[in-house]
Amino acid sequence: MSDNVYGSGYVQAIDLAAGVFLLCAVGALWRRQLTAMIRLFAVQGLALAALVAVLGAHQRSPELIAVAVGLAALRAGVLPYLAWRSLGDSPAEQRETRPVVNIATSLLAAAGLGLLAYAVTRPLVELAPSAATRVLPVAVTVVLIGFFVLVTRRRALSQLVGLLLLDNGITATAFVATAGVPLVVELGVSFDLLLVVLVLQVLAARLRSTFGTTDLDELRELHD
Amino acid sequence: MNLGATVLTVVQVAGVVGVSPLLVGVLRQVRARLEGRAGPGVWQPWRDLRKLTRRPPATPDGTGPAFRLAPLVLLGTSLVVAAVVPLITTSSPLDPAADLFAVVALLALGTVTLALAALDTGTAFGGMGASRAMTVLALAEPTILVAVFALSARVGSTNLGAIVTAGLHDPLRVASPASLLAAVALVVVTIAETGRLPVDNPATHLELTMIHEAMVLEYAGRDLALVELAASIRLTVLLGLLASLFAPWGIAGASLASLPLALLAFTAKVGLLGAGLGTVEVFLAKLRLFRIPELLAGSFLLALLAVAASVVLA
Amino acid sequence: MPAIVLLLAPIVAPLLAAGGYAAAGWRRSTAAAGVAAAVLLLVDAVALTGSVARHGPVRALAGLLRADALSVWMLLIVGTVALLACWASPAYLAAGAPHRRRRRWYGILLQLFVAAMATAVLAGNLGVLWIAVEATTIVTAFLVGHDRTRTALEAAWKYVVICSAAIALAFLGIVLLYYAARHAGMSGEAALDWSALTGHAHELDPGVTRIAVGLAVLGFGAKAGLVPLHAWLPDAHSQAPAPISALMSGVLLSVAFSAVLRFKVIADAALGPAYLRTLLLVLALATLAVAAVLLLGQRDYKRMLAYSSMEHMGLMAVGAAAGGQLAIAAVLLHIAGHGLAKTVAFLGSGHILHRHASSEIGAVRGLLSRAPLLAGLFGLALLALLGLPPASVFASELGIARAGFAAGLGWAVSTAFGLTLLAFVALSVHTGRMLLGPAPGPVAIGAGFSGPAAFTVSTAAPLIAGLLAVAALGITTGPLTGLLSAAASIIGAP
Repeated sequence: MSDNVYGSGYVQAIDLAAGVFLLCAVGALWRRQLTAMIRLFAVQGLALAALVAVLGAHQRSPELIAVAVGLAALRAGVLPYLAWRSLGDSPAEQRETRPVVNIATSLLAAAGLGLLAYAVTRPLVELAPSAATRVLPVAVTVVLIGFFVLVTRRRALSQLVGLLLLDNGITATAFVATAGVPLVVELGVSFDLLLVVLVLQVLAARLRSTFGTTDLDELRELHD
Repeated sequence: MNLGATVLTVVQVAGVVGVSPLLVGVLRQVRARLEGRAGPGVWQPWRDLRKLTRRPPATPDGTGPAFRLAPLVLLGTSLVVAAVVPLITTSSPLDPAADLFAVVALLALGTVTLALAALDTGTAFGGMGASRAMTVLALAEPTILVAVFALSARVGSTNLGAIVTAGLHDPLRVASPASLLAAVALVVVTIAETGRLPVDNPATHLELTMIHEAMVLEYAGRDLALVELAASIRLTVLLGLLASLFAPWGIAGASLASLPLALLAFTAKVGLLGAGLGTVEVFLAKLRLFRIPELLAGSFLLALLAVAASVVLA
Repeated sequence: MPAIVLLLAPIVAPLLAAGGYAAAGWRRSTAAAGVAAAVLLLVDAVALTGSVARHGPVRALAGLLRADALSVWMLLIVGTVALLACWASPAYLAAGAPHRRRRRWYGILLQLFVAAMATAVLAGNLGVLWIAVEATTIVTAFLVGHDRTRTALEAAWKYVVICSAAIALAFLGIVLLYYAARHAGMSGEAALDWSALTGHAHELDPGVTRIAVGLAVLGFGAKAGLVPLHAWLPDAHSQAPAPISALMSGVLLSVAFSAVLRFKVIADAALGPAYLRTLLLVLALATLAVAAVLLLGQRDYKRMLAYSSMEHMGLMAVGAAAGGQLAIAAVLLHIAGHGLAKTVAFLGSGHILHRHASSEIGAVRGLLSRAPLLAGLFGLALLALLGLPPASVFASELGIARAGFAAGLGWAVSTAFGLTLLAFVALSVHTGRMLLGPAPGPVAIGAGFSGPAAFTVSTAAPLIAGLLAVAALGITTGPLTGLLSAAASIIGAP
């Protein structure tokens, strides 16, 4: 254990951003209201952008800071707006129906997923230990929590939020491990993500007009 | 045996016993004023205690030793915890018992004896209150353990005095992610353990909403006074523990000279926390009973993340 | 021809065709635009074959696009299947009678789909490969939901969610591989370049590479229909329009599988062959088991074809696990044969759906006596899929079996072929029920279908062409032999 950890503002800033990042994911798992989940996702986008900006400031890379601004615009602005637009109007539409795993168990499962992420990312952190790579378990925990939300929720929009959490976690992993993938790839990935959200928004609207609800339990006709 | 430490500990226990009904009074008065009522005044809990001690206790037919001993055991464990937890002084003569696990075990012992007493009465309310209290306890105790353990991981010892002293010497540690997560978890657990909103409403006697009140429904007179005093001591101790762990300034070491400052700091901090709790309670509604495990599971998750943060980010 | 033209033409041609559809809509005149784009793609692939044979791998755009023998082989298959699908689309759309606006979107999205697959196949950079594969998911989302029925919508939703999640996991794998490469000292540009990674693979940290490659194989494998994230496959392939199902089943699964093969090269160099061999074998056997079991009680013939695709993907994974040049050559030949035969089968099923307005096996009886040409072509395609000679699937399955036993995987290969036998029986029984037997009374025509369009020889032309190609491939690989062995040697060390 190092003893000068809190002497550096950089390390504190990274830890704070990572902490908020993780707490937003936990909050999205906790809340039932879909509007609250979208709001938490937006805050998480800001935390991710802050994390990247801190990394950029530390490495004195204006490119990273520009990427951080772009991330904030996309993941805290555009994507939550699109997700919010695909919400229904009635209050019943804005709550999650009974999830497959109830909330208390989901939270305890998230604790287990955190421990799993910590165990799995040991070789990753040992490869290049630094203040940034120590945050890798947090990012992988968010990935696992996003996957868990995707699998255990019955609402179309909850699955969308789970997918977005998953993607946020993967982006965080990319930036924390290697200061981001090359710019071309990053742009392509962001564009793909935007298109996926647009596609899912249109499909959710069609689901609502065809089935009358976005409750995925209604999708029962295709099975073996 | 350090004379100064012993004196400080005695003053601490006396101070806690004296302050706790006053704290409850302040809490109620703040709530009343915010709700637009005149309020009974901050000394009302003392007046209630005085009234109750003058009355004879009533023991229902068919209860056994569990019912009769529970108030004594509850008050006893609360006093020991008050002596041991670093509120005014970080060094107490009962230092071996100032361990985190011992304190949590004592708190749990108190709650369990009360639940047994409630079961002993054989009434429906007693059984119901006991089972609800055990549900809350099952999730709250591990959370306290894990949350304070997160703070102790850095210090290397689970002695509460050592943790608070380390916090005194390194103020920036309070702002670390592990510390913040542990703080949130501890706040939720304090509310759960002491039966405040949104987990339990101390002013209600409706069947749907009682937890703690259901357990003490059959008590009267002196026994009820002991139980009420013990409950207010536990509230004071837990709020004081929160203050000591996360805002330890002003706490005394082993020297008598720092006693006035320590007393003043303690009353101020606990008073502020109490008033704040009262204010927040005005705006909260009680959670439905099946939501409480969710809240506590969430706080357990936060405590576990605090441990992970303190291990990983250190 | 300069390299950049050769590499960009297969991507730009379908994009131009898509632009044409966007501007002019779907008319009889523009219907040929798609076919023309596919022909151009094939011509370019042939030109690339010559170029790669003479000068080795072709690079452009600073390594973002790269064509080696494997890319060219896959491009040839993409082009052929795209040609068949675009050729058959006008007849399918005419019989289905959707609105003009939807036909226009069909045309645009189909061409974008082909362009995305061409990009994925010609990608020299792992990031570009990922973006292209994700683009195929996005583009096909609305194609799967084209019919706007409840089941189509359900299939489209499941498809997008599961595939996007799987591909996101694959991206995590790519990011971790990038991390390992950067740590091994490779520069930012080279660390995602496939050929550079294979060159420096032995310097990558084994612990990180193990996690990275595992995630990438799971993610791209899900897109290829391998267990455990396969649940989208039967729904999506059965609900999409027939030419789209043909493209998805015939070639998209194989494109995703070729991505897995590319990761295999990196993994084998960095970790030794044992890791991915075990992983692929487990996935393959699980996929074969799921497919075989669910084929037994199958009641829908389009889902039947989809599960058959899963079964063939499982076989290909067994071949990939065996490794070695013979096995990989067999796998590549299998990709070609399966692609062509499955295309013909799906196109035929589209026409059967239009005749019977129901995709249930029980609703189709005695097809051979009522529509002999259609039934004959469908039956021949199924026979090709079952691995009967002279279809090339026979030769490739034999090759996989031989290579598997030679690599010491005897028990695994036996289990795999036992499960394949189960699938064989199931498929034969179902197809037999559909084709053989006396013709029942007049068939009921559902609303929205304009009645059984005459299944003329011109409508049947794409199917006949596909079957001839499979048969020819089964007899000899002819001029493609050199290309096949060059492609196999890239993946499988001799």
